[in-house]
Formats: sequence, structure tokens, C-alpha cells
Amino acid sequence: MHSIYARINGLTALLSTCVMVLLGTIALSSLIYTADPKGELSINSIRVHPGKERRYPRRTREFAFVNFNVTADLTPLFNWNTKQLFLYLEAEYENVKGVKNDVVIWDRIVRRKEDAVINVQGKNKYKFKDLAKSFKDVPPAHYSLKYNVMPYVGVLTYGEAARTTEAIEFPEAQDTM
Amino acid sequence: MFSDELKTLRKLGFRHVLLQILNFASVITSGLMIWKGMGLMFNTESPIVVVLSGSMEPAFYRGDLLFLTNFGNQRYSTGDITVYKIPGADIPIVHRVLETHDTIVKNSSSEVTLAPVADQLLLTKGDNNYVDDIELYQGLDWLERKHIVGKVRGFLPYVGYVTIAMNDFPQLKYALLGVLGLLALIQRE
Repeated sequence: MHSIYARINGLTALLSTCVMVLLGTIALSSLIYTADPKGELSINSIRVHPGKERRYPRRTREFAFVNFNVTADLTPLFNWNTKQLFLYLEAEYENVKGVKNDVVIWDRIVRRKEDAVINVQGKNKYKFKDLAKSFKDVPPAHYSLKYNVMPYVGVLTYGEAARTTEAIEFPEAQDTM
Repeated sequence: MFSDELKTLRKLGFRHVLLQILNFASVITSGLMIWKGMGLMFNTESPIVVVLSGSMEPAFYRGDLLFLTNFGNQRYSTGDITVYKIPGADIPIVHRVLETHDTIVKNSSSEVTLAPVADQLLLTKGDNNYVDDIELYQGLDWLERKHIVGKVRGFLPYVGYVTIAMNDFPQLKYALLGVLGLLALIQRE
């Protein structure tokens, strides 16, 4: 009964059960932390310029260029099961055709607690364009800073750190940069 | 080395071998049932996927396990991580949603609602890539609900690396299968 197989079998079963229970506990433990830090977001300027599409170089469409200011202290989001934060700034608006749009224009990955105090004066990283080629008559947009907490093991959680208090209008398109 | 085992095998007889084969089969089928049961529960064709590329580093590395859900009324929002499979592409891709576009519908009592989830247009991007995924969509301009396998809800590191190792080194797969089969046959009790 005490063959080598039985011993190996018993040992691996015990070890894998222990590891599973430990991982489960760690995953559950991060649900206790319910930090909800808030920061500030302001939009300094928006310009709209016509440009060429990446995929269809002969077509032109309008692109929006956003300059923004973000300050937030996100250190409370770092607990022992936080691998990294994915921070993203998005524009939320409805266009003239009645489509609700959420467009991410900037993002940043925060991997250490020391880097979690955010103070960025930036511009959009990704192309900001509307489905209908033009921002003419598009109603004002809201901007918000959101985050995704990514754990070492367990469930992914999301939250919002800042939002513009008033909707911000798109200006008329300018031909020259 | 194997002569002893062979002798015991002969001593145990035909019925015992049959019983062991039955046991082995029941292990495999219960595994399959758990997989399919999870698929039914979370409404997705594959409730667990293994990360195969580095395009979501440093969030997900090759070999990490992801747990997915894909409920019928589940709307996607920016920042969500999707697993999608474009017809014509051979492997599913794990990338983050960059843009969502929902048509707004006004019904008879002039209530404003969003169009059905199936009409949602999405654009995705890998955290580790510089540009969005439009080149990966095989000619499509947007990702749609019908291409999506699921939304990433949970994360377990490293465990899936076994399957990657078995794909990279097929000998390992056959060795493992052979040893398991042999053990199942000669093991007593």
C-alpha cells in the first residue's frame, strides 16, 4: 500500500490542494480593499483638423486634438494583490446621427505604487475621430479618467477616478495646423 | 523493469483491465463535462483561454489563464478586455477595447435606449502594441459582437503554460499520455 506511486500521488494531491486554497484566499482577500480614489481632470484645449485616414489614404476626415491635465493619487489602489493599473482617458459623446461613442484617447500602465501619483499634462495618444467623418455640429463631449485594477490572481475590477464637470464643445475645423 | 508490471497485469485479468479503462474514460468525460458545463453557465464557447502572445504584456504573458463570460445582454465598454476570433484568422486574440459605438434608439413612448448589444461597434488594441487592431480585422472596419468569444473576468498566471509546452514539444504530449495510460492500466485499487 505504501508504494512509491501512492506516495507521489498523495504528495502532489496535497500540494496542489494547498496551492489552490492559497490562490483562492488571495483572490478573495483583494475584494476587501474597496479604495475609490478621486483625482482631477481638466481639458486645456481642443482643436479639430482635417487629415488622412491610415487605412484609406485617399479619404480625408476630421481628427480632434485634445490637450488635458490630469492629477490623481492612485496609491490606495495598490494592495498586495495588485499587479498593475491600466489608466485610460476617454471622451464620451453622442454624434449627430444619434450614436453614443466612448473613445479612449490616452492611456498609461502603472506598475509600481511609487508611480501611482499621476500628474500629467498631455495630449491624445490615439486618433480621435468620429464615425461620421466630421465633428461639425457634434454636441459637447464629456471626458473621464478611468482605471482597471489588474491582480496577480483573481478578478479584474474597474473604476472612475475623475470626470469633467461640464461638457466641452468641439471647435470649428481649422485647415492649418 | 516492466516484467513485474506485466506479470501483475496478467494476474489481474481481463475484467480488471476493462474496469481500469472505464475509470480512465470516466475521468476524461467528467473533465469534458466540467468544461462544457462552464461554457453553458457563462454562455461562451471557451470559458477558459490560454494567452498565446505577448501583445498584452505586461498585463498578460504567454501561458497565463483567463476566465471569460459572454452573457447575452453583456455590453462592452472601453477598458474591457475581449477575446475575439475573426473568421479567417486561426487563433483567438486577447485585446483591450479602445472605442465603443452604440446607436441610440427612441421607441414609441420616446424612451431613449441603446440599440441591441449585437449592433455595438468596437475597436480594440493590445496594451503592448503601438496601434489599434484594424489591420487584424481581415478587412472589417469594426469588431462586432458576433466575433467575440468573451470578456476577461478573472486571471490565473502561468498555469496554461503546460498546454503551450505540449504544443511546442509534441514528444512531451505523447510521453505524458503514454505514462498516464500505462499508470491507469496497471495501478491497483
